[in-house]
Amino acid sequence: MTDELLVLRCQLGEPEALTELVRDWHIPVWNYVRGMLGADRADDVTQEIWLAVIRGLPRLRTPGRFAPWLFTIARRAVTDRLRQEYSVTEVCAQEEPVTEDAAGALVDRAGLVAALSGLPVREREVLVLFYLEDLTLEDCAEICAVPVGTVKSRLNRARRMLRDHLTEEGSKR
Amino acid sequence: MNDEPNLSAEEMIERLAPMLSPRQRLRGIVALVSGSAGTICLASLWVTEPTALPGHTRFAFAAFILLCLAWAGYGGWVVARQTPLFALDRVIAAWITLTASITTSAIIIAVAADRGSGLIPALPAGAVLIAASAALVLRAHIRRAMLLRRKRELTGRDTP
Repeated sequence: MTDELLVLRCQLGEPEALTELVRDWHIPVWNYVRGMLGADRADDVTQEIWLAVIRGLPRLRTPGRFAPWLFTIARRAVTDRLRQEYSVTEVCAQEEPVTEDAAGALVDRAGLVAALSGLPVREREVLVLFYLEDLTLEDCAEICAVPVGTVKSRLNRARRMLRDHLTEEGSKR
Repeated sequence: MNDEPNLSAEEMIERLAPMLSPRQRLRGIVALVSGSAGTICLASLWVTEPTALPGHTRFAFAAFILLCLAWAGYGGWVVARQTPLFALDRVIAAWITLTASITTSAIIIAVAADRGSGLIPALPAGAVLIAASAALVLRAHIRRAMLLRRKRELTGRDTP
């Protein structure tokens, strides 16, 4: 069943379609949030995203464009969380030193996902959307509210930074 | 870092269940409609009183109107911010609103006619109320019909 049909059934108010929609998209949304914020915060933020998605679903005018719409909401939730945390971090930074969570990254089975956490938010975001969520450049651009050219340049920069990061990690070992 | 969420899709659905319950979704509509209808009826009763009311009666009217406004406000907040209204919910909600509008209009017109004052404003007010509710019914049906038509196009078969 296509996303458009599933979303249409949800908009009509079919409860089983809503269940199916959550079942289909729960892992992609969680993966995106984990890539952006880490696993410890992913569950909470994913729940916030689903609440916003369910509330906004009846107003979605283009059900065929569900994925970009969903990730736009996810991106907003992630941005809000980062903004809150940065404001708290700015206060805490004066009191306690910031420690790198290198040990956690080393034991992670998904080394690539862990390496993402070292990238700046904008570059991390396009990598997660384009490579982990398999979205098109156009969808990434719509979600990030930037032109396609900007997404391409962010992707190039992100790939270069990730390569440098992984090379550096490899040489340390 | 985990590869799997702590909350499975099923657990997430369970957490969303209160929001997805039809009763919960229509609760806000009922509060909004009954609060608004109560406010209009009480205000029309107060305004069309032929003689000046004693202080405690005016206070009672004001208190009841505030109570109705609070219910309407709560209902509006639930509808706008808390629960989604899907196409079928909107159709049901629109019919509830139309029924309440007709009843409210009948009450305010009957009260105005009985007391012989306020009939001129009551008639157009009732007509506007009913027309607005009828427009909501029409819009809800058109939206649902559009979604059903698109669903039929996508599935390639008839659906009820």
